[in-house]
Amino acid sequence: MSKTKRLVLLALLVAMAATLHVIEGWLPVPMPVPGAKLGLANTISLVALVIFGWQDAVYIAITRVLLGSLFGGGLFGPAFIMSMGGALISIIIMTHVHNKRAGIFSLVGVSVAGAVAHNLAQVTMAAVIVYSPGLLWYAPYLVLFAVPTGLFTGLAVNYLFAKAPASYWFNIKNKDLQNK
Amino acid sequence: MLTKGDKWLVMVLLSIALAGVGLHMYYIAANGQGQTVIITVNGQTVKTFPLRQGYVGEFRLGDDHGYNIIEYSGGRVRVREADCPDQICVNSGWISMSPQQIVCLPYRVVVKVVAGVPADVDDIAR
Repeated sequence: MSKTKRLVLLALLVAMAATLHVIEGWLPVPMPVPGAKLGLANTISLVALVIFGWQDAVYIAITRVLLGSLFGGGLFGPAFIMSMGGALISIIIMTHVHNKRAGIFSLVGVSVAGAVAHNLAQVTMAAVIVYSPGLLWYAPYLVLFAVPTGLFTGLAVNYLFAKAPASYWFNIKNKDLQNK
Repeated sequence: MLTKGDKWLVMVLLSIALAGVGLHMYYIAANGQGQTVIITVNGQTVKTFPLRQGYVGEFRLGDDHGYNIIEYSGGRVRVREADCPDQICVNSGWISMSPQQIVCLPYRVVVKVVAGVPADVDDIAR
């Protein structure tokens, strides 16, 4: 992949991730678990992880949270710290599961592990921010919510790679784009 | 699409989460009705008051930069209104049982119900 193509793909992923991050903040979650989110932006982290590797996934996540907080409000506030920490820890866990346990888990398993890690990291950070360890009682409820959302985002990424496998992204030719 | 590993992971995580929820429910049931509300900001206790039938009122926290209005009535407590961006504290609704708590993360406010009578009796008279 040429440098330019890589740059364009990374920029597109950042744009999509930041958009999902902002839009997700607007969506009312129809669940009795206040604070739970669908984790749509995590799909982009997973796509980046598969196509480019963990370093670029981390760059995309950092840029996404910065831009998302800038557009959605709350830059450098508690919500920002929690989004950033959750996103980075979920990428670390997803990288580990994807690279070291590739034979056992599909992308759905990777996504579920990432979603659960994201929520556990966030509730831990929230407990530290408000100095209230009792908040950790909330973790099981979040995990209960994170498993289905992780399944959902993992299946979405699975469908994406079923239609356009990782190799596709490296082999886009100019004539392919002109034919479209 | 799901491998065997995926299914195991999902089942194990769901079992652990359900066990945690069950433990929490059991803990709430065992503690029974909470009797005291403690409001903390940044880990500092700013207000303690008893929670019982007939004790009605509200308590305003904050300043120009942000506020939470905490309402208590009929042995329950909630954050009725706040100007925080996410409104998670308001959406949490009423709480009345012992380890339950409401958190407003942007303002670092925690409203928690604990068992036992408040130590500060003067607070009731005030």
